[in-house]
Amino acid sequence: MSNHNTSSPLIEMRSIHKAFGGVRAVEDVSLRVYPGEVVALLGHNGAGKSTLMKMLAGAYPIDSGEVRVAGKVAAIASPADSQRLGIETIYQTLALADNLDSVANLFLGRELTTRWGTLDEYAMEKAARDVFHRLNPNFKNIRVPVRSLSGGQRQVVAISRALHFNASALIMDEPCAALGPEETRMVHDLVRKLKAGGVGIFLISHDMPDVFGLSDRLSVMKNGKTVGTYRTADVTEDEVLGMIIAGKRVTRVAECFAPPSSAE
Amino acid sequence: MLNRLQISALDLRLSIMAGVLVAMALVFHAFTGNFLTPENLYNIAQQTAVVGIVAAAIALIIVARQIDLSVGSVLGVVGVLIAFLMYSKGWHWAPACLAGLAVSLVIALYQGWLVAYLGVPSFVVTLGGLMSFRGAAFLVADGKTQPVSDPLFLMFGGGLDGSLGPTVSWALGLALAALMAWNTASRRRSAQAHGFPLRPLWFDAGLALFFIIVLLAFVATMNAYVLADKGAGQGIPIPVLIWGVVVMGLAFIVNRTRFGRYVYAIGGNPEAALLVGIPVKKVMLKLFLLLAMMVTVASVVQVSRLNAGTNSLGTSMELYVIAAAVIGGVALSGGSGTVLGSVLGALIVQFLESGLLLLDVSIGYRMVIIGQVLIVAVVFDVLYRRATGERMT
Repeated sequence: MSNHNTSSPLIEMRSIHKAFGGVRAVEDVSLRVYPGEVVALLGHNGAGKSTLMKMLAGAYPIDSGEVRVAGKVAAIASPADSQRLGIETIYQTLALADNLDSVANLFLGRELTTRWGTLDEYAMEKAARDVFHRLNPNFKNIRVPVRSLSGGQRQVVAISRALHFNASALIMDEPCAALGPEETRMVHDLVRKLKAGGVGIFLISHDMPDVFGLSDRLSVMKNGKTVGTYRTADVTEDEVLGMIIAGKRVTRVAECFAPPSSAE
Repeated sequence: MLNRLQISALDLRLSIMAGVLVAMALVFHAFTGNFLTPENLYNIAQQTAVVGIVAAAIALIIVARQIDLSVGSVLGVVGVLIAFLMYSKGWHWAPACLAGLAVSLVIALYQGWLVAYLGVPSFVVTLGGLMSFRGAAFLVADGKTQPVSDPLFLMFGGGLDGSLGPTVSWALGLALAALMAWNTASRRRSAQAHGFPLRPLWFDAGLALFFIIVLLAFVATMNAYVLADKGAGQGIPIPVLIWGVVVMGLAFIVNRTRFGRYVYAIGGNPEAALLVGIPVKKVMLKLFLLLAMMVTVASVVQVSRLNAGTNSLGTSMELYVIAAAVIGGVALSGGSGTVLGSVLGALIVQFLESGLLLLDVSIGYRMVIIGQVLIVAVVFDVLYRRATGERMT
């Protein structure tokens, strides 16, 4: 754990471009995350942050630019590719099939099978009970369709995917937007735990307490371009808001593209 | 209580439908006096098979938020082709059926590719197919009826000689009953071994016993239908046997395979299915191919039942098939429905047809009534889903 921050970047995106028809959604954006680091990604709706993350997650193809995972150039053509590289994504919409139960949703797309190739329901349910219990010991009704679960429980199901499949990097898109105070604390604890375990996390958030409470660095986007990337501790909330709203760069301190090696 | 017995809204719904079926049978019997006779039930069973086979598969298409309006026409062109190859070209029935299957799969590949890979709405693609393939059914044999006479082939359609006979029927019934009992027992054992909550023993045993009794009662009824010049009971009609195999096969796919799971995931939330890495297009194409296989099977049964392939084979069958699936609880909004429900739905439609026929209700009234029953079923569906919290509005 001691040398997380001195190692090479876990994920490095270089000069990423993406256009939808004539609209340039992401233009020349570069961003890194190091092992055990939380990088917050901020910006207005439509600033391009979700699009950038969806490219990393394999949901959108990248027009041009390069993604390196653990130093190697990675071709991400589908969500399955991204998952194979150890990148898990928790979408704002949670990406749950409402008609299926929690166990099925946890393993959706990556079901465990018996040696005959049929679904191994018992193995899946057992693993699911373990991971749900770690996140919320009170979560018991795991065999009902997730549509009948509370917002917090649904979030547990979505987060459990990242936990069970041992993500090395995690993308969280507004993970606390729909949650109550207690559930928000659960998500914060989890982020700190994963960070301590060396997971690199991209956190999309509008919520300043989330950003300042959790992130090591932050990057602000506006109209598809990066405004600036700084150490969270170096900037104030007002300066961050200035970047989001007016696209005004902070010149008082230097930008920061890697966590300082002296970080605790 | 419902929670402890692990009864879902879906199970409850299927039970209600089974209840409706029984009630219909009793009412029709009370009015006609000959509804619940071995002969009538035998005929209903084999008449329902063709619609039932296709309904079981189209249920999955609807679950995945698609529709296929071309099934009747495809059944027509495939059936005429098979009969044409046997009658006009002198082919053996086996290669003729394989040729029919090949054509059916090519059609599914074409329509499925348009839907899955190009994103054309399946309603439009298969509406075009509904017309085109009906036309093709005419073109295959210039509209001429193609009679078939191969005795082995004719057994697929049931009728006088197309049934298993009492001994084999009982053997099959008892074997299935044993399988059900073993299945329940092994499920309980596995649940216990993994430390999962068990339903009370009386409930599991009672449930298994109920299905076994229904099964054996069915076998007994089919065996009780004795033709005057044969002396022995008929037993399970072959089309019903085929239908049973299709239903069990599809139920297995739904409950035990990744493919089945993905069909439901796509129906529940297509966007999420894509985001978690399900190969949505491939699954969709495979689903259309699966339906094509079942349409071919149904086509063989239908040609065999009619002893001929005609260009009107399967006309307006898409309506009955979709009605059966919807009455059986398959939601047109996708993501919800069962193969077993399609069986009950097909039976309800056929009970209605047959019962009204016995009551001497004319074809006009029959159509009016069946159409309205479909609407009643959908109204029930909407209200039931609202009551169980599946629908908000």
